[in-house]
Amino acid sequence: MSSDIQTLKSLDFFADLNFGELEQIAPLMHLMKVTEGEVLTRKGEPARTFFIILSGNFMLSFKEERSFTLHNKGNIIGWSTVVTPFRYTGTAIALTDGLVLYMAGQEFLRLIQSYSALGDKIMRKINKIISERMPYVTGSWGKGGTNCLALKQ
Amino acid sequence: MFGFEAIIAHDGLGISVIGISIVFVSLILLSLAVSQIHKLIELWDKKNISYKRLKKSQQKDQKTPTVSNLTVPQDVQRASRQFKLLIEWIGEPFPLPKLLDLSEKCGLSSPHSTINEFIKCKLIIPDENGYYIWNKQV
Repeated sequence: MSSDIQTLKSLDFFADLNFGELEQIAPLMHLMKVTEGEVLTRKGEPARTFFIILSGNFMLSFKEERSFTLHNKGNIIGWSTVVTPFRYTGTAIALTDGLVLYMAGQEFLRLIQSYSALGDKIMRKINKIISERMPYVTGSWGKGGTNCLALKQ
Repeated sequence: MFGFEAIIAHDGLGISVIGISIVFVSLILLSLAVSQIHKLIELWDKKNISYKRLKKSQQKDQKTPTVSNLTVPQDVQRASRQFKLLIEWIGEPFPLPKLLDLSEKCGLSSPHSTINEFIKCKLIIPDENGYYIWNKQV
C-alpha cells in the first residue's frame, strides 16, 4: 500500500519538501507492519531498503555491539541506501510491533539523482543524521564530545 | 599617708592598669562591632530577596520529580529481577544486543519489548558511548 502525502508531510524528514516533491515520493513509499524481534537491516549486507518509522521502537546496533534505540515517528533506518558503498552499517531490530514506511533503495537513489532540489533537501537531512550516528558506526567519539542521540530521540 | 605611697599602699597602680585595659578592650570590641555593621545592613537589605529565592527553590523542588521518583510498572519490576541478573553476569556498561541475545537464549518472555520498557522507564540508560548501564537510582 502506497503512503499518502499527508502522512509524509507530518514527518520531520520530509518537512522541507514542497507538495510537488512529496507527490513524487508518495507512490514510492509503502506501508509495512513489523513485529517484535523482526530484523529490518543486517550490518554488512547490501542496503536495499530505506525505512521511516511511523510507530514502534527499534534498536540499531553497530560494531563492538554499540547501539542506540529509536522511539519516535519520523526516525529513519537505512541511510546506507543512498551512501556508498551501499551496505548497511548497522543491524536494526524491532523492539516492539510497529509500522514503518519503506522505499526500495534504488528508487530512492534514482529520485535523489534525478531531481537536484529534492535530492539536496533529502541529502541535507541524511547528512545531519549520519553525523549524529557516525560515532556509533566508527566507535570513536570526539574528544570531550558526547553523543546524546538516544536522549534527543 | 599621701602621694605615691598612698597609691601603692592601696594597689592604685594595679587598679589603674586594669581600668585602662578595660577601657581599651572595650574600645577594640566596639570598633570591631562597628566595622561589621555594614554586613548586617547588607543582610537586612537582602532579607526579602533571599526569602523569595528560598521560596522559589522550594517550589522548584516540589515541581521537578527526581529520578528516584520515577515509577516502574509492577510487571516491569518483576521482569527486571531476571534481567538484572543477566546484566550482572555481563558486567557494566553492557552492550544492549548482548543482553537481548542472552535473554533470548535464557528463554525469557518477550525480551525485546521488555528491554524497550526498561529503556522507557529509564531502568536502563545509555552511557553515551553506545553501551548501557543499570540505573540504580530507580
